[in-house]
Amino acid sequence: MSANTNNNVPVLETQHLVKRFGGLTATNDVNFTLASNGRLHAIIGPNGAGKTTFFNLISGRLKPTSGKILFKGEDITGYSTHRIARLGISRTLQIKSVFDALSVEDNIWIAAQAKMAGWHPLRSARHFPDTQRRVDKVIEEVGLQEIAKREAGTLSYGDVALLEMGIALASDPELLLLDEPICGMSPKETQRTVEKIVELSKLVNVILIEHDMEVVFDVADDITVMAQGGILAQGSPSEIASNHEVREAYLGFDEDDDGELAIMPNEQDIGQPSKGAHSNG
Amino acid sequence: MSNAAPTGPARSLRTPEQKLAIFNRVLSAALILFFASAPLILPLVTNNFWIGITAEIMMWSLFAASVNLLFGYTGLLSFGQALYFGAGMYGVAIGVAQIGLGFWPAFGFGIFCSIFMALVTGSLAVRLTWHYFAIITVVFSLIFYFLALTMSSITGGDDGLAFQLPPMFQFGDTEISLTNSTLQYYFIFIVVGLCFFLKWRLLASPFGRALVAIRENDVRAELVGINVYMMRLASFVISGFFAGVAGALFAFFGRYASTSYMFYHVSGEAVVWAIVGGAGTLFGPVLGTGVLIIIREELSLYWDHYLLLVGVIIILTVIFAPKGLTGLINSTVLKIVAPKHNPDTEAQSNLADDKARQPAE
Amino acid sequence: MDLVFALAINGLIWGLIIALIALGLSIIFGLLDIINLAHGDFFMVGTVLAWFIVQSTDNFWLAFILVPIIGLLLGAVIQKLVIVPIKGAAALSIVATFGLSIILQETVRATFGPAPKRLLPPVEGTIPLFGIDYELYRLVAAVISIICLAAFFLFLHKAKLGTWMRAVRHDPETALALGIPVQRIYTITFAIGFGMAALGGVVAAPITTVDFRAGVDILPFCFIAVIIGGLGNLQGTAAAAVLLAFMEGVITAFADPVVARIASLLFMSAVLLVRPQGIFAGATS
Ligand SMILES: Nc1ncnc2c1ncn2[C@@H]1O[C@H](COP(=O)(O)OP(=O)(O)O)[C@@H](O)[C@H]1O
Ligand SMILES: [Mg+2]
Repeated sequence: MSANTNNNVPVLETQHLVKRFGGLTATNDVNFTLASNGRLHAIIGPNGAGKTTFFNLISGRLKPTSGKILFKGEDITGYSTHRIARLGISRTLQIKSVFDALSVEDNIWIAAQAKMAGWHPLRSARHFPDTQRRVDKVIEEVGLQEIAKREAGTLSYGDVALLEMGIALASDPELLLLDEPICGMSPKETQRTVEKIVELSKLVNVILIEHDMEVVFDVADDITVMAQGGILAQGSPSEIASNHEVREAYLGFDEDDDGELAIMPNEQDIGQPSKGAHSNG
Repeated sequence: MSNAAPTGPARSLRTPEQKLAIFNRVLSAALILFFASAPLILPLVTNNFWIGITAEIMMWSLFAASVNLLFGYTGLLSFGQALYFGAGMYGVAIGVAQIGLGFWPAFGFGIFCSIFMALVTGSLAVRLTWHYFAIITVVFSLIFYFLALTMSSITGGDDGLAFQLPPMFQFGDTEISLTNSTLQYYFIFIVVGLCFFLKWRLLASPFGRALVAIRENDVRAELVGINVYMMRLASFVISGFFAGVAGALFAFFGRYASTSYMFYHVSGEAVVWAIVGGAGTLFGPVLGTGVLIIIREELSLYWDHYLLLVGVIIILTVIFAPKGLTGLINSTVLKIVAPKHNPDTEAQSNLADDKARQPAE
Repeated sequence: MDLVFALAINGLIWGLIIALIALGLSIIFGLLDIINLAHGDFFMVGTVLAWFIVQSTDNFWLAFILVPIIGLLLGAVIQKLVIVPIKGAAALSIVATFGLSIILQETVRATFGPAPKRLLPPVEGTIPLFGIDYELYRLVAAVISIICLAAFFLFLHKAKLGTWMRAVRHDPETALALGIPVQRIYTITFAIGFGMAALGGVVAAPITTVDFRAGVDILPFCFIAVIIGGLGNLQGTAAAAVLLAFMEGVITAFADPVVARIASLLFMSAVLLVRPQGIFAGATS
């Protein structure tokens, strides 16, 4: 799919990105680069750090105060949200957001059609076989075959989350932005969704905002830590876990602890070995 | 549609939804058939007066359909559709009476005026949503209502602007014009029919689905790549076009135009017709318009204050049947074709089902 | 010049009365999230009730006391009967109040009659005011309106109920968590909204005509004031009502009153599109 596009040009690059709300600087001179390398990139940071705002800037829902956003080398700063979406950036919202009165299938159909064929006012919506094939494929990818005909408004919380990911995937994006996808889920739903995210990250470039540290340190290949609108640290999970600045500023753990971050997952808790997160443990 | 449905093996091949769809198709066909043959059958059962009423019902249905496209499908409640109705109506009247246009050019001019108005006001109005959209549409329609009142040399103000009906076609000495009441009826039938056909095609197209998506969740719609502003504007202009066609037809029908049709109460009536009939369905507004106009025509003969009943119907509909008459009919039919304890029903009434299941998951 | 002056004063006084009515509209919008298309008719019902009471008792001041109370009661009943059941369908509230408007107008037409009537002012006579003989009652009406406006804002900021109303408007969920009876506040708000429109009705009855269509005329004006003042900004609404009525009064001296109305509406559209928070945003309510 997309992870194998030209590796020299980063999928996403922001240059000196700044967003102010009145006196509050929600995004503070962020220089962020995401190479197209099929790695799962997570953004963590305390509440109010500016993570969602960062996504809003990338997806065009907010206009930056200054700075630039490049997508595959194209300057998309100031583009409208729908245009950015059609270029290949999809996202989910922190508060789940789907088309309630439409069936699961039609939810995904809308997103697929937006990218593939557009809104021909005088042709029947049934006569777009390519869109339909795409819909069937996505439904299978996110595993919603059984409930494809159900109205989205009647789904369980976990299914809505999967559907939202399906909608985001339907347009065959090159970059998928997930904003706290497992927030508020039961452990079972969490596990299913996390597995899905890991699968997806092999197909699409994914940036994942997540609060659940166990999950982040478990699945992420790279981590960016944000605090007060800026980037505090960046690196592999092990690097982040041992980064003193991160501990002090964000995690607030005492240095005289035994050196192990309390947020580090225990193998018993998660039920599967995590990759590299324990290198300093 | 019989109660034997659940037991018959041949019947059980169809889900209740499919049966409902069939029922709706039959109902729509019956409706179309009725309008197509009204001038032939109505004189058999009642007097010719009702042919005119039926023609009126068709025109006002189109007007209600314009509200429905915006509210039922795009999620924008316009309380100012009378402006575009008025534009179509005055376009025709001014075209004929002041500019001296013939029948078809005047018709075209009326439609052009309404589309133009919708484009200009809509490009501003669709920047707003919800209550603000409702308010600004009323405000725009009021501005033009007052303007039309002041420019009475052109519009005739409250008295209106009457005109002589120009001929539709002229072959040598023979003129064909709407003064022939049967011709007038079928002219209205065909024009309204074409508009409904257009609406049906639009709604079955990707465009129509995109409108529904916007109605359901405009943020998500924008995020999947729909240009929400342009789609809303397109919907607004098409809706203005429908209102304008209705107004133009009404001008020909009454041979006059009047500012009183531009007041916000007329817009409100269209909203009421659409909602009482059932917003978000193709023929719901026809049903609502039909029922309420028949009530008006019948009841007003015996009871001066029949509007009290209309007010009560509006409130009862909003409280007990927010999906309107169509919704009532559909749920009744569903109850009949899928009685309780039928496994089909349970799959279908998933809402209650899911409420119970959700916490367990 | 005298005429301009008289029209300007007329506008000002009318604006004070409108402020009362528009405040009712604004609190209903702010708290219940309802566009009340029947609000003009609440005012009209006030004028008609005043007419009936004066007709049977010959005592205007009794009407002045009774009408707002009847308004409160009617408001509470209507909120329970019509507004509570549609809580779930916010978009339809505008339709329900349209139906309500029809019912109120038709009820009045059936009982009071279709013909407009006049109510004599309780205080007659004129006083000389800057060179013109000005109708005394109009000044009385202005004073009454000012007192009522002051009482309203005092109530809102000092009384416990008023504080609760502001809390509910600000954040209904937190208010509920704090033990404020939110549902009852909704009813009370709607009742007060009706009560204020009815109060405006009594005060205005002697200087306008009592007519079942009076609400249709006054409703757009109230909306203009609410929007220009800023939805939910009550001081702004009151100020906008007075300023606009004054402006329309002055324009009326030179041009068709309809032109004045068009100007207000254009101003209102601009505010809606450019500054939907109203022109006084920043001031608190
Ligand atoms: N639209 C907005 N207007 C004003 N302030 C905002 C807006 N969006 C976010 N903020 C503020 O910016 C800061 C960062 O918010 P956000 O990006 O949502 O944080 P996070 O997602 O990291 O928890 C917060 O202080 C928040 O209050
Ligand atoms: Mg966030």
